[in-house]
Amino acid sequence: MSLLVRNPDIVWRTEQRREQEVIEALERGEEVAERGTVILMFSGMMHQLNLVGGKIWALCDGSRDESAIVDLIAAEFEASREELAGDVNEFIADLLQRGWLRHDG
Amino acid sequence: MTDNFTDLFSAPLTINWTLSFRCNFVCSHCYSRDEVCEELSTADHCRIVDVLAEKKVPFVNFGGGEPLIRSDLYEIARYATKKGLNVSMNSNGWLLDAEAAKSLMESGFRSVGISIDSAEAALHDDFRDQPGSFERAVAALDHLQAAGVKTTMSSVISRINYRHFRELLELARTHGVKQVYLHNFKCSGRGFRNRQELDLSPEEWKAFYLEALKVKNETEDIAISFDDPVIASLPGYEENPLVKGSSCGKLSLHLRPNGDLTPCGFIPLVVGNILTDDFDTLWYDSPILQKMRHKEAKGKCNGCGAFEQCLGGCTARAFATTGDFCEPDPHCWK
Ligand code: SF4
Repeated sequence: MSLLVRNPDIVWRTEQRREQEVIEALERGEEVAERGTVILMFSGMMHQLNLVGGKIWALCDGSRDESAIVDLIAAEFEASREELAGDVNEFIADLLQRGWLRHDG
Repeated sequence: MTDNFTDLFSAPLTINWTLSFRCNFVCSHCYSRDEVCEELSTADHCRIVDVLAEKKVPFVNFGGGEPLIRSDLYEIARYATKKGLNVSMNSNGWLLDAEAAKSLMESGFRSVGISIDSAEAALHDDFRDQPGSFERAVAALDHLQAAGVKTTMSSVISRINYRHFRELLELARTHGVKQVYLHNFKCSGRGFRNRQELDLSPEEWKAFYLEALKVKNETEDIAISFDDPVIASLPGYEENPLVKGSSCGKLSLHLRPNGDLTPCGFIPLVVGNILTDDFDTLWYDSPILQKMRHKEAKGKCNGCGAFEQCLGGCTARAFATTGDFCEPDPHCWK
C-alpha cells in the first residue's frame, strides 16, 4: 500500500464560504470545474484547486492510498469508481510530478 | 487546477500584528512611533491566536513598534505555532543577540526580517537616530542565520537610499539573505511629517521602479519584492498579483496593540475589535473594507487605461494625503 501525503512546506486552506457556494452551484447544475475552493501557498506563489481536486488534496493526509481516495470521492459525489478512477489518477500523478504530493510507505 | 483569484478569500492570508507601538528607536519615516495604545495581556494575545487559528489565517507577521520589546513575544509565537500559524516578524535588530535568535528559533519563527535603510553604516544610523544601529542590525542577521532562522531584509525606499538599492542587495548577499523587500514610502505618522524631505517625486518613483524591476529580473540569488500597486501601470509590467491594487483588506489586515483591526498599519480607521466583534462580520461586511475593495476611479484615474490593474495605487497614501480612498495615489506619475 502506498499512502499519499502532502508536501509539508505547502500551506493550504479550504475556503469554506466559497466551497459552500460551489456546492450549491453544483446542485443547481452549474459548471464549477474552474472555481477554486482550496488555496495552496508556497515559495511566494498561490494556486487553487477546484471542488473535487480540493477534496482529494484534503484526503492525502498520509493515511490513505489512491484506491481508498477514489472510494471516498465516489461516495461523496455519488459517482461510480469506474467513472472517477481515471481522473483521480491523472490529478494525483500531476501533483506527484509537481512535488506537491509524495508517496509515503 | 484553477488559478484565477476573483472572489474574496474567506479570511485574510496575513495578519500584520503590532503587539506594541513602543520602540527603542525614533526613525524619521516611522508610521507608528507617535502612536500610543493600550496593550493587551499575554492571555488576551492567546485568545486572539485562537480566533486566527479558527479562521485559518495561515500567516502572522509581528511588527511594531519593536516586537522584541514585549517580553512575552516568544510565548505568543510558540502558542501561535502550536495552533498551526506560520509566524514571522520584522525587527530593527538592536535587541537581537545570539540568545534572542535562539529563542526565536525555538518559539517557531519561520523567518525574521531586519530593517536596514542604507548599506552605509553612518547613513543608516543617522536615519534611525541611533549610533551603532547598523552594526547591530547586520549582526542580528548573522545571529539569526547561525541559529537556523530564515532571514529577510526590509528597506523603506526614500531619498536617502533610492539611488543605492544595489548596495542594499549586495549587503543582503554578503549576509546570506535570500529575500529583500523594497517597501514604498507610506506618508503616515512621522513619514507624513517628514515626507517633503524623504519622499521621491512621482517621476523619481517611476525611474526607480523601472530600474529596480530590471535588477529584479536579472537577479537570481535574491528574491526582490515590492509592495507598491502603482507599479502595475508601468509598461511591460507582467506580474500577476493575487489581487489588483492594494492588498490591504483583501489579503491582509492589521492588528493594533489593543486588538483593534485596521485595513493596514498605515490607515488609522478601525474596522472593529478582534476580541469583542464577530470576525466574519467584520471581514465580509465592514463598510471600510467594502469601500477599499470596491474603489471607484476619481480624478486622473477616471479614464486611465491602467485603472483595472492599478486601482488607483496605494490606498493608504491616497487616504493620508486627501482623506479619500478613491483619489489617485500621490506617487502616480501618469
Ligand atoms: S492615474 Fe490612477 S489608475 Fe492610472 S496609474 Fe495613476 S493611480 Fe493608477
